[in-house]
Amino acid sequence: MTSTAEPLEYHRSFLKENCRPDGRELGEFRPTTLNISSISTADGSALVKIGNTTVICGIKAELTMPPSDAPNKGYIVPNVDLPPLCSSRFRPGPPGEQAQAASQFIADVIESSDLINREELCIEKSKLCWVLYCDIMCLDYDGNLLDACIIVLLAALKNARLPEVTINKETDLAEVDIQKKRHLKINRHPVGSSFVIFDDSIIIVDPTAEEESLSTALLTVVTDEEDRLCAVHKPGGTSLSGEKLQHCINRAITRNKEISKLVDKVIESMKMAK
Amino acid sequence: MIQNCLKQRFEHTSQLLRFCHFQLGFKSFSFSVLPMTVCPQLLQTDTIEKPAVCVIYPYCSRSKSLHDRAVINCQYSMATFSTAERKRRPHGDRKSSEMSLHLKQTFEAAVLTELYPRSQIDIYVKILQADGGNYSACVNAATLALVDAGIPMRDYVCACTAGFVEDTPLADLCHAEESGGGTSLALALLPRSGNIALLQMDARLHQDHLDALIEAAMTACKGLSKVLDGVVRQHLEEVSVLTRD
Repeated sequence: MTSTAEPLEYHRSFLKENCRPDGRELGEFRPTTLNISSISTADGSALVKIGNTTVICGIKAELTMPPSDAPNKGYIVPNVDLPPLCSSRFRPGPPGEQAQAASQFIADVIESSDLINREELCIEKSKLCWVLYCDIMCLDYDGNLLDACIIVLLAALKNARLPEVTINKETDLAEVDIQKKRHLKINRHPVGSSFVIFDDSIIIVDPTAEEESLSTALLTVVTDEEDRLCAVHKPGGTSLSGEKLQHCINRAITRNKEISKLVDKVIESMKMAK
Repeated sequence: MIQNCLKQRFEHTSQLLRFCHFQLGFKSFSFSVLPMTVCPQLLQTDTIEKPAVCVIYPYCSRSKSLHDRAVINCQYSMATFSTAERKRRPHGDRKSSEMSLHLKQTFEAAVLTELYPRSQIDIYVKILQADGGNYSACVNAATLALVDAGIPMRDYVCACTAGFVEDTPLADLCHAEESGGGTSLALALLPRSGNIALLQMDARLHQDHLDALIEAAMTACKGLSKVLDGVVRQHLEEVSVLTRD
């Protein structure tokens, strides 16, 4: 049987031997590489590649008035963009379902994991605050989009530097000092792990686009560096037993440690290069 | 898999081409039942980067398809973080539409569209970071993407900007030079024949200076075509070595 004529049988024949067509084991992630500060026009940027899936994030900071219901908080606005150049399944035009769902998921993760303290983004209560636009763009879609988005957002926020802003008491205008820049304070380090369920029973980690399309259910678990659960996202599909879910959560915790090490290593090497 | 790139720097007395990095074929794609090729590649010229992707569809929407040629469709867009000020409307604004049209017209001159009747070739270009010379970088990226897709073309299409700053013709202007108020000329050239695919000039220029400017841009384009050619050959060697095993 060939991989194009009968893709499901092709994958099943590999799963019987407990491995996958690209040679990985069922619980193995694809090689992940990270690059930060690639875009000099953005206040912070990062590029992550999980296998072939390539995602880039650019952070732009602007000044605005704080919301009326939370006058001491700033805004953080994530946006996931899936342009037609990343895969033929996306057509040009307004953001599709998958892009919007991913944007909302990232917003929920930021909120639930307490990634960044929104009070830090406030400069002057009720008058001035930062709004961080986090634009995440997929350059190459080969499955496992959500994991890549979370990693790239975390790396870009760690890399972002905002200038000092003071309000001149006399003129009541903001004065931005571009020379003095400081990093953002990141409280938590959420990292996601995505799984798919094949044939109602076999769980695979880090699916490629083909595996995603042949799967019967998807699952994403987000944990932080203190082994706490931030988010579990299982949009329908076949049912999963509690025991298997626990197994997935354990795998996610291991993945968190791997990715935290990677992000720290890259940021250290950037500092040393300067 | 990423095939690695060739880097060259050209320096003439008054002309300077910024560092160019080219990478071919950094994306893999599975073929579906309909023959469809996707061949993205990443182009980085010193401070501008953009991935260009090219897709061929063997069919086309009824209203737009031509019975004897392929239709070329270009979409140009900029990432919101690509400019110093956050770009609020990355698609659909006048500048993007104008660029998309120019790219389409440029490639219609170069691609042998008669070989693909009733089909559509889509070229998507996205700018990740802009520092002047957006159009030129798009054209160069799209040329390599088309080569990677295996779409037959008459010749490479190389583009470069040139401008007059304080009476010196300069090639490959950056953003500061372009917005400084001097003349800027964008030229897309088919290097072997020396034919011009697209020429666009803004701002006032004395007739006598036009030749010098076009000359500067043409030299830069010819240099660029050598770089592109080198990258394509190197990529081909690497791929043939891999497939031989």
